[in-house]
Amino acid sequence: METRDLKPFHYIRPESLQEAGRYLASEEAVKLLGGGNTLLLQIRSGQESPDILLDVKHLPGFGDVRYHHNQGLKLGAAVNLQHLVVGLEIRRHYPLLHQTAQKLASPQVRNRATIGGTLAWASPISELAAAMLCYDAVCHTWSPRGHREIPLAEFYLGDYQTALARDEIITHVHLPPFPNRTYGIYHRQTVRHDGRRMIAGAAVLAYRKQQALTHWRIAVLGMDNRPKRIPDAEAVLEGTPGEAEIARALEIVQEQIHPADVDYARADYRRASLNALLKQAITEVIHHLQSIRS
Amino acid sequence: MKHHISFTINGQSMELTVLSHQTLLEVIRNDLRLTGAKHGCSTGECGACSVIMNGEVVNACMVLAPEVDGTDILTVEGLSDGEELHPLQKSFIDHHGVQCGYCAPGMLISAKALLSRTSRPHEEEIREALVGNLCRCGAYADIIKSIQVASRARR
Ligand SMILES: Cc1cc2nc3c(=O)[nH]c(=O)nc-3n(C[C@H](O)[C@H](O)[C@H](O)COP(=O)(O)OP(=O)(O)OC[C@H]3O[C@@H](n4cnc5c(N)ncnc54)[C@H](O)[C@@H]3O)c2cc1C
Ligand code: FES
Ligand code: FES
Repeated sequence: METRDLKPFHYIRPESLQEAGRYLASEEAVKLLGGGNTLLLQIRSGQESPDILLDVKHLPGFGDVRYHHNQGLKLGAAVNLQHLVVGLEIRRHYPLLHQTAQKLASPQVRNRATIGGTLAWASPISELAAAMLCYDAVCHTWSPRGHREIPLAEFYLGDYQTALARDEIITHVHLPPFPNRTYGIYHRQTVRHDGRRMIAGAAVLAYRKQQALTHWRIAVLGMDNRPKRIPDAEAVLEGTPGEAEIARALEIVQEQIHPADVDYARADYRRASLNALLKQAITEVIHHLQSIRS
Repeated sequence: MKHHISFTINGQSMELTVLSHQTLLEVIRNDLRLTGAKHGCSTGECGACSVIMNGEVVNACMVLAPEVDGTDILTVEGLSDGEELHPLQKSFIDHHGVQCGYCAPGMLISAKALLSRTSRPHEEEIREALVGNLCRCGAYADIIKSIQVASRARR
């Protein structure tokens, strides 16, 4: 069979973080293995040639999912993306996460892809990152130097770089609790139905406090070298946004993005696409929140 | 590096020695000679290599052989009951869900995973379940129809 064979490496399943840490401290080229959806491609293409793959899916606590109305949501790094589609606590309390995961890739990919591997992947078109940014997610990590908390907003450095050190492992991600009257929408335009070849993507979230719409979040994909929020545009929408505020927010977004030409869409087309998706998402969030009876 | 793994495949227990960098697809096709699952892309895009692992559909080209230790695998060969074809297989034959047939094992596996969760899926749910399965012949309409008919025929 002519598969593109994987270059030989050692597969190791550590039982504890300390054991994983010992491998990470060695001289060998070590990569952490989640679902392998990105990593195995990188090995096949020669972009990565690790000596050791550390399968972190079986580490203690990595499969945990916990929700508490005062504490929010904890998702272990090895929880798969399909859980975001089917998990009841996700559907009920973090619907934007559910909605985004439902569109992401395919059942085959989602059943394997992990929260940790997906966040660490740091692609400018990472759809999970967009939803997680809207929910103020915080990455919890471990390295031989101890535990660390990194807000996702500070996690992506651009060009596929993250704030993770070479020997640092995402253990779980934490999302704060959100009021019941929180609503989010994710829209995207892609060439392929499985999400490949993204032209633009936009996630929007807000909640209602009495009559005011507050805590606006706007995250855009494919517009820069990393998934990013546009806080200046979010600020304009605070309160009771009307057409003028929406127009102003969209204008600010356009000023703060730098989409590139790609072989399937020109930069100006991607800008126009984002504008349309974002306008639709903001309008839908406003309508939904205003239609809730007080 | 060698690994001694044990798992079940199509209801049979199996013990094998595999290498770290072998994939599940290589194991089932080369070592076990179960050639139903096909190799298409090696990038997770085509779904021709789909199998069910612990009840969930996965791309066998993206699973490492040592990860299979302790799991339960179902390939297209395990769908029929002896000589008796699975209702999905019959329906694919009756409703032309097979053109060249390269995608068929993966399509059947995705359909099987869908029907074990949702006994009477809508067309939209069928389409969603097949997002990760490409058909180079473009036989999608007949594939979807085959699955719909099979799901209606069940009980
Ligand atoms: C066919 C296909 C379609 C896709 N479609 C989409 C789509 O529509 N939208 C979208 O957003 N994405 C899409 N993707 C990308 C997909 O979401 C990612 O490949 C996947 O989620 C990565 O997660 P993983 O667990 O498989 O990571 P892996 O490939 O295992 O790892 C990715 C990286 O993270 C590191 N890593 C793994 N675990 C940890 C950890 N715990 N701590 C620190 N680092 C870690 C690895 O070393 C590696 O560098 C698609 C991918 C494929 C193959
Ligand atoms: S060969 Fe596995 S997805 Fe194409
Ligand atoms: S029938 Fe030929 S690939 Fe689908």
